[in-house]
Amino acid sequence: MFLSNLVQKAQQYIDPAVLPASLVTATTTKPSKSVLFQQQFHLPSNQNPLYEITAELTLPTRKASSSKSPSSKQQQRWGPNDWDKGADGKGTHYVGQLHLSEQYLCFSTVNSSFVSTASTSASSAFTGRTHGTGTAGNGFTLPLCAVRRVERLHTQSYMFALSITTWNGFDPGTDTKPGAPAPPKLTIQLEGSRQQCERFCDGLKRGLRQGIREVENMRAVAAECYSEYFMYSDFDGPSPTTKADGVTPRHLPDTGLGSIFKYPGNSRKLRDRSKMRLWHEYMRENGRNTTLVRQPDFHRLIRVGLPNLLRGEMWELTSGSLYLRLQKPKLYGETLKKHEGEESLAIDEIEKDLNRSLPEYAGFQSEDGIGRLRRVLTAYSWTNVDVGYCQAMNIVVAALLIYLSETQAFYVLSILCDRLLPGYYSTTMYGTLLDQKVFESLVEKTMPVLWEHLSGNDVQLSVVSLPWFLSLYINSMPLIFAFRVLDVFFLEGPKVLFQVGLAILRVNGEELLDATDDGAFISVLKSYFARLGESAHPKSENPKHRAITNFQALMVVAFKEFDGITQHTISEQRSKHKAAVLENIESFAKRTSIRNLGPESKKLSTNDLGFLYDRFYTILYERQQRAQVLQADEDRKRKASRQRATEIVTGVHGNGAPEMGRVGLGPSTTEMDYDAFREFLAGVAKWAVTDSPSSPTSANDPSAHKSANGYFHTLRAKPSQPSSPWGIGPEPAEHEFLRRLFKRWDKEVKSSLTLQDVVAGLAPIKGGRDIMGNISYFFELYDNDNDGKVDREGILRMSEALLFLSRRGVEGGGLLSPSPSSASISEHEEGKRRETKDEQFLSAVSSFIRRCFEYADPDHASRKAEMEANGVAQQVDLLGLSNGDESAGSDQLAASSSSTGDVKDDSVLSRPSTNAFGQVQTKARHVAANAALDPSSPVHITLPTFRMLVLADEPLESFFDSGFANSFHLADAPLPSSTITSPTFLGGSSSTASLPNIPDIPAMSPGGSSGVVGGAGAGVVPPGKGLRGMLDNIVTDGMRVAAEVRRRMDEAQKELDKGASTRGTEDDDDDDGDEGGRDLLEGAEADAGEGRRGTGVSREPSLLDQPLVEEPKQGSSKEEVEKSTMFER
Amino acid sequence: MTDSTASAPKPSSSVKLVLLGEAAVGKSSLVLRFVNNDFQPNKEPTIGAAFLTQKCQLPSRTIKFEIWDTAGQERFASLAPMYYRNAQSALVVYDMTKPSSLVKAKHWVAELQRQASPGIVIALVGNKLDLCDDDDPEDEAQDGENAEGHEEEAVRKVSTAEAKAYAEEESLLFYETSAKTGHNVSEVFTAIANAIPETSLKGPRTGAGGGTQAAISGGQDTSRVNLNARGADGAAKEGCAC
Repeated sequence: MFLSNLVQKAQQYIDPAVLPASLVTATTTKPSKSVLFQQQFHLPSNQNPLYEITAELTLPTRKASSSKSPSSKQQQRWGPNDWDKGADGKGTHYVGQLHLSEQYLCFSTVNSSFVSTASTSASSAFTGRTHGTGTAGNGFTLPLCAVRRVERLHTQSYMFALSITTWNGFDPGTDTKPGAPAPPKLTIQLEGSRQQCERFCDGLKRGLRQGIREVENMRAVAAECYSEYFMYSDFDGPSPTTKADGVTPRHLPDTGLGSIFKYPGNSRKLRDRSKMRLWHEYMRENGRNTTLVRQPDFHRLIRVGLPNLLRGEMWELTSGSLYLRLQKPKLYGETLKKHEGEESLAIDEIEKDLNRSLPEYAGFQSEDGIGRLRRVLTAYSWTNVDVGYCQAMNIVVAALLIYLSETQAFYVLSILCDRLLPGYYSTTMYGTLLDQKVFESLVEKTMPVLWEHLSGNDVQLSVVSLPWFLSLYINSMPLIFAFRVLDVFFLEGPKVLFQVGLAILRVNGEELLDATDDGAFISVLKSYFARLGESAHPKSENPKHRAITNFQALMVVAFKEFDGITQHTISEQRSKHKAAVLENIESFAKRTSIRNLGPESKKLSTNDLGFLYDRFYTILYERQQRAQVLQADEDRKRKASRQRATEIVTGVHGNGAPEMGRVGLGPSTTEMDYDAFREFLAGVAKWAVTDSPSSPTSANDPSAHKSANGYFHTLRAKPSQPSSPWGIGPEPAEHEFLRRLFKRWDKEVKSSLTLQDVVAGLAPIKGGRDIMGNISYFFELYDNDNDGKVDREGILRMSEALLFLSRRGVEGGGLLSPSPSSASISEHEEGKRRETKDEQFLSAVSSFIRRCFEYADPDHASRKAEMEANGVAQQVDLLGLSNGDESAGSDQLAASSSSTGDVKDDSVLSRPSTNAFGQVQTKARHVAANAALDPSSPVHITLPTFRMLVLADEPLESFFDSGFANSFHLADAPLPSSTITSPTFLGGSSSTASLPNIPDIPAMSPGGSSGVVGGAGAGVVPPGKGLRGMLDNIVTDGMRVAAEVRRRMDEAQKELDKGASTRGTEDDDDDDGDEGGRDLLEGAEADAGEGRRGTGVSREPSLLDQPLVEEPKQGSSKEEVEKSTMFER
Repeated sequence: MTDSTASAPKPSSSVKLVLLGEAAVGKSSLVLRFVNNDFQPNKEPTIGAAFLTQKCQLPSRTIKFEIWDTAGQERFASLAPMYYRNAQSALVVYDMTKPSSLVKAKHWVAELQRQASPGIVIALVGNKLDLCDDDDPEDEAQDGENAEGHEEEAVRKVSTAEAKAYAEEESLLFYETSAKTGHNVSEVFTAIANAIPETSLKGPRTGAGGGTQAAISGGQDTSRVNLNARGADGAAKEGCAC
């Protein structure tokens, strides 16, 4: 005792906030104890079990009034210690657990426990057999605000005993004017150590103090319960409205459409009045609505069928929707108000079905009924947009509305969809399908002969049973019987649906064994349902037996014979079949989705489409998961709540829906935003993986960190988080090119992409070899205003993008490499060749820039500008960065240069260019950055020019021919000309790229280089380990080259501005111009930075923003030093 | 069964037929017209699927259709394989006043061609001809329309030529019908009956008597069971007898 006490105490001091996230993620699929607690007592999801203690509840013995049957002895026992219990001295005793949550005091004879030390089975004890009492057993679920007074009783022993008076005890009635009867005081004796009891009482005191604020709220909510009106008078006395007692005139609560349009069934036959009398008695002694105490008679009274006027209230109470209404009493009204006049798909669907929901009931032929139905369904579709509206909900809600006011029906519907029927009405209806599997497996287990018969005759059970579950039998049985099923269903939970279903099959077993096809099977059951009201034993001698209806017989079979079907059974079966069902749905969804991706998708193979589909939804799913884990982490830290994931394996459907986002569960989103898009690309294309992952590993490594800062500003400033926002995949890069691509794919400009967008975006690139198409595609990415021209800024950005895309190597340069490498070629040689290739590509890019300006058309048709442009070109030429192949290229250019003449000059002068984000970049920026970029002499290239420039250059041509397309790795093999080695997917650990200007890489051995950037899959690949880090360095250097190119461009233009006269000395300038250039550019940097701030663009890691020359890294390899010097010549 | 008046005992076989199509295009109404020669403005939406049967007399044989009328709401689509399993024929329905429903119909056709039993006979049916231009004037004035019917301004949005071209391309049977007027309804079923290859026909099944109809979703729906409500001029029978 003492020890466990200690443990309990210790537990309290352990701050759940410090629990690592991993602990939570590992167990999120299992319901937490809080969830179990909420499920047992049907409480809202903001209630957590705070304290619990074993206790004994004593209720005064029933006044021996009219009750025929004394309370059953089954679950109660007379207290062993006969201490002073007040006036009677005797009473009914229940031993159980007393639980305290933030706002509720719950007592149950079902011996469950939710303290952190409790075992799994103890916590989920309520999922076993409940003997008709529902999960909460005998006891009470008392909102603390409904407690009027708590007294500590003086006991002889040291024991704690509390006397609780509820608010119903103080209703208007006085001695002279009879009001509602006072419910008994609840006497509770706590059994535990002194400290335990004291702690519990302290908690209770705190809760009660908090509860005071809720009292008014609670009264308003309770006032909508019929019992408030009903209990106000004696049962046989005059109706409360006519009673002139001068106290509050009671208003009659809305008890559903039935009060206007009649309740279904013959109330005389249903013995409605005597049921009401029994309920009146019961509630007089045991309290009503919020304060009701559950004794065995309560459950029995429900079993025999609820009376019309109390049915709605009892549904509310037993399902727990009353507590939800108590928690958010205004939700219904506010939701409707907030979305008034709005439209949605769900609303359209609802409208279609309003006239066809229980059309035979008079209430739904009236505007009143239809209006209620419309409002309830609409309000729910707004509170749960993911579910929206599903056919069958209309029927269920229509049924509810016969007994409940629309407000009450709304909350019951919420409980139904969110808790009792998880996933039934979701967009994939996985809950329905899953429960069909569960049902089938239960049939197989309990009725093997029938099962064999069914499968032997190829009759699919679920085609018959699915509507039973989906519409809670309302659509299958005559209404009066369906409501009886509902009575028990709300009390006992979803297992009832299974029990009744099994019983239906069992009762009709003989006839069903004769049915050999779907049709016969269905007609047997249909005629059975039509006979439910008839006598089950019409030929019996005994009139009592004759009086038993088929329905009563059915209920007996359901709850006696299938007593063993418990919530636990269902949960177990659900978790067993869940994976298969979800997989089925997903493969169906995938199949359908891929087939319906539109005409563009035909360009890609089914394999590729399948790959894209998987990749697309995996990203969405993982991102949601991560977001949720992070959210949960935050929540825990903020609230430091006591909620704690445990190792419980009950399979009870968790409310947390940790798997949200999974396709089979009905994805809550089907569109990816820009970040998701980056992540998507990072798994598909190497170039989309960042060079500077903000992973914990690299952040901890100073040198890596430094180098990471060097070229990309993508680095998040915030310290590394335990769980990377990118999960285990490679961290995606951020580059202007990505934004442009995203914008291009986002055809409807909604800042998110559907799978169809992605496929339509990729199809032109990947779909077949179309060099011209690819060239235009690329060009259009940079043609901001679709006028067929790319301006100076765009040209530079294009070049950067080309470098960005190739910084990990160009793939598929089939035109350059002689043949796909044979196995005999050593890796060394292979690397060398690729390197040459990449080097060529780099120079191709630099000559591309040069030629761009050479052949660019001036925006004004002025000779001067043209001259300038040519001047620039020459300048660049002199830099000597490009090698070899340019002469050939030049020849071609010369040959085709006439074509440039055809291009019409632009007459639009000095238009500010618009970048990818639609922001106008100020002229000032250009001017300040570099006088040569003076907008007064803007230039542009057109698509034909661009095409010509690309085709003139082999590496570029090859890039657009296949390299670009091949850089996207889908399922199928890349285009034939490719020489790519293994595709690099998620791991990103085998980057084959290298960049030019390294004549050779001698130190290719793992660990051969130090001080490298952490791999893209950082956290997976430790920094400094092997090839990859080194290659990253090389990539980094590639970027430096780009910066250099850029710098020199600017420099050259600057020179140009100074005047053409200095041309003669340019060679010299170039040799030593480094320092000066750097200064100049640093100035430019600052200005550029300002300009960016002005336009609100942030973190755009274009090369423009990079520091020019990086400090040589500590311990950088010899090759690197060599490289650096190569540019300085 | 009232229509067992077929003169000579003819070979009889049952054919499973499944109806697919967007919500509220009139699938259930087509079936109701075919089976009961009736039109109901207020029908409960189909939950899961409804099951009905109807016989169709051909000169040489009798075909008993076992009709699975499926729910049209998009989210019920994942249940469809359960119903088109082993189906020998399918009716893919669109609403000719709603172009989107033809798109959905095409999806269904693609799904069936790839997933359903090989050799399945598919008929593409454009419904709600009564809402379009050139139809019997007698049925113009109708007020009790709900989901199955439509707004005043509803006019043909899908041209016959377009749908027909598509149907030919995919080798589907093609009809334009009106469940409300009964136009072409029985013709569709007859055409399907004729198109079912003799070889794929099974013998009559035991158990379910001719004309047994059980809408599994309509426990209290008694009107559907009454076949006698059909007038002597049962369009279905006449159509089938051709």
